Amino acid sequence: MLSRRTLIVQLPALALAGSYAVRAFGADKSVTVGINLPLTGADAQAATKIKQGAQLAFDEANAAGGVAGYKVNLLVLDDGTATAGQYDPAQAATNARKMVSDSSVVAAIGPQMSGSGKAMSPILSQGNLAIITPASTNPDITNPKMAAQYRPAGKAVYFRTVTTDAYQGPNMANYYADTLKVKSVYVLDDSGAFGVGIADSFQTQAEKRGIKVLGRDQLNPKEADYTTILTKIKPMNADAIYYGGVAQAGVKLAKQSYDILPKLIKGGGDGMHSTDLLSGAGFPAAEGWYVTIAAPHVLDKPEVAAWAKRFQDKFGGPPEDYSITAYDAGLVIIDAIKRVAAAGKEVNRNNVRDAIQASKVNTLQGEVSFDENGDITNRVVSVFQIRKDDKYPLNDTIHQYKYVGVAPASS
Amino acid sequence: MTTEALYLQQIINGLSLGAMYALLALGFTLVYGILELINFAHFNVFMVASFIGMWALELLGLSGQGVILTGFALVGALAFGFVVTMVLAGLLGVAVERIALRPMRAVRGTAAMITTIGVSYILFNAVLLTVGADSKNYPNPMPDMHWDIGGATLRLREVLIWGVALVLMAGLHLFVNRTRLGKAMRATAQDAEAARMMGIDVDRVIITAFFLGSALAGAAALIFGLYYNYTSFIIGYSAGLRAFTAAVLGGIGSVTGAMVGGILIGLIEALGGQIVSVRWDDVIIFSILVLVLVFAPSGLFGRPSATRS
Repeated sequence: MLSRRTLIVQLPALALAGSYAVRAFGADKSVTVGINLPLTGADAQAATKIKQGAQLAFDEANAAGGVAGYKVNLLVLDDGTATAGQYDPAQAATNARKMVSDSSVVAAIGPQMSGSGKAMSPILSQGNLAIITPASTNPDITNPKMAAQYRPAGKAVYFRTVTTDAYQGPNMANYYADTLKVKSVYVLDDSGAFGVGIADSFQTQAEKRGIKVLGRDQLNPKEADYTTILTKIKPMNADAIYYGGVAQAGVKLAKQSYDILPKLIKGGGDGMHSTDLLSGAGFPAAEGWYVTIAAPHVLDKPEVAAWAKRFQDKFGGPPEDYSITAYDAGLVIIDAIKRVAAAGKEVNRNNVRDAIQASKVNTLQGEVSFDENGDITNRVVSVFQIRKDDKYPLNDTIHQYKYVGVAPASS
Repeated sequence: MTTEALYLQQIINGLSLGAMYALLALGFTLVYGILELINFAHFNVFMVASFIGMWALELLGLSGQGVILTGFALVGALAFGFVVTMVLAGLLGVAVERIALRPMRAVRGTAAMITTIGVSYILFNAVLLTVGADSKNYPNPMPDMHWDIGGATLRLREVLIWGVALVLMAGLHLFVNRTRLGKAMRATAQDAEAARMMGIDVDRVIITAFFLGSALAGAAALIFGLYYNYTSFIIGYSAGLRAFTAAVLGGIGSVTGAMVGGILIGLIEALGGQIVSVRWDDVIIFSILVLVLVFAPSGLFGRPSATRS
């Protein structure tokens, strides 16, 4: 691990050195990297943290003289709409077309939400434009069995710096069985692509592990009242509930389940790891929830502290775990552009995609490389529990979510 | 928890929902009764009012569920919250009428209704852009008091909802049936032209209807916030549509109908979720809307449309 640590420390210096060599190419050359995130709507706060992570990577590269002589411009698009109140797959599709039709766009970062990813991936595939998601975890998009649907042109275009719900859901089921000793569970989802997928994969593994699944129902994220379903669960005497979904329904679920099912173990996926949950549900309602993220937890590590400080200084707020995976996505793209340029090839989306596919990049979370479907080869799921810490702001995800360990992979 | 207790609990949940829908449905019905106009701005007058209520309570130094009040302090804080929210929501309703609807009054057809949809979107996006999209943790000073009734739990907030709803609905009933202005409203609802000829100030009646309807939405909005400890810019849509369904079910234009319709929709939502599945709630509720519109357009308490013209 020593080599990785030194590499991370040297990373900014490396970027700096690389840029000096090629500055002679001229500073007026530029390429564009698209960003698609739900910057308005219920997930806006978490999306903003992700955007800032990506932005930091390119700002630092540009400040150091650009990437292989290219200035990187960002094309930031918002897939949150007022009518949806959160991410909107239809808007995401429109944004994907916008990116594809702009020939200066060589790669993209996003989306946060799998529902958007499902809408974008086929369009990006036709345009052969690679996108790296720092947060969306639904496995269908990169599943080779569903390639005809999500990458009709054949090549992988949907890369991830997080692992998928093929691990996030089942590993959490293992954690429920092994660590939390849960014997019975009620499963809920928020009817979105991410929520249904992660709840399904959790449920399948929970059943395999002998956890009794007492029922399954779906929350409408636009509705306010979940007392009916929670009251229905109450007499079942479940040990736990598991919620697959994002914050819009999650906030209300946390609040109302605190009133109606105060004693149950409650858990969810990375959709529940957000400032929105802390500020919207507040304490005591959010207290005790177990949530996962689909990446190794490195924010506590000393070698990431300097990065976290740069982030804090620039944006005036702390990073979240997916700010790191977004920064890492930025590093992967920067590295890919450099390798394309170094090989003497034209920096266009075709070559950048091929370079991303072949990545072996040292990032904050360690070395990132992808399998032939675009999935990250390092599959770690981290578990957190919300525990109130009065010493820090109550919506500070770094300090209110306590890292409690890695969710065990299925053997 | 026994099955009986479970159903009792769902009825308690349903009645609380129903009380909210009823207060909200009254706003649709009052305006429709006078103008034969479906006021879609009402959805988001309700939403804006929930923020007004939140700010009013925050003005008192309440935030989240951190500050708990009891006795007179609690009653005072809630009374302040309700008065401020209802008055400001009422004025917002009047402003919508003056600015956007009065100029449309002479225009025949659906223009005015479409204008209300526009106003609704303006309010929706104005709140989204100013206060942000994140869910708000609603200030709630109520202590965690609850009683056990046959295995079901009755909480203080439910008692508050029912109490406030009953008082307001009784007040409205008395107002419409016992006051001069209420009589003028009923006369205008029957025949605006004749009422005008008899010297009734129809504009004043219309303003009253908008004020009362919006003030009741204000009360519903504060109740909503206190019940769920939550508000957001999106709450108008689903609550508003259900309340509208309640108004249609009860017979749009009928005050009694709105009250009964609201309670029924609340109970259907809770018991439907229990017996079938909550994911089917929308299908059940909006099927009722369609069935009522097709087979009994005048609803439970509405006058047959033949007598109107």
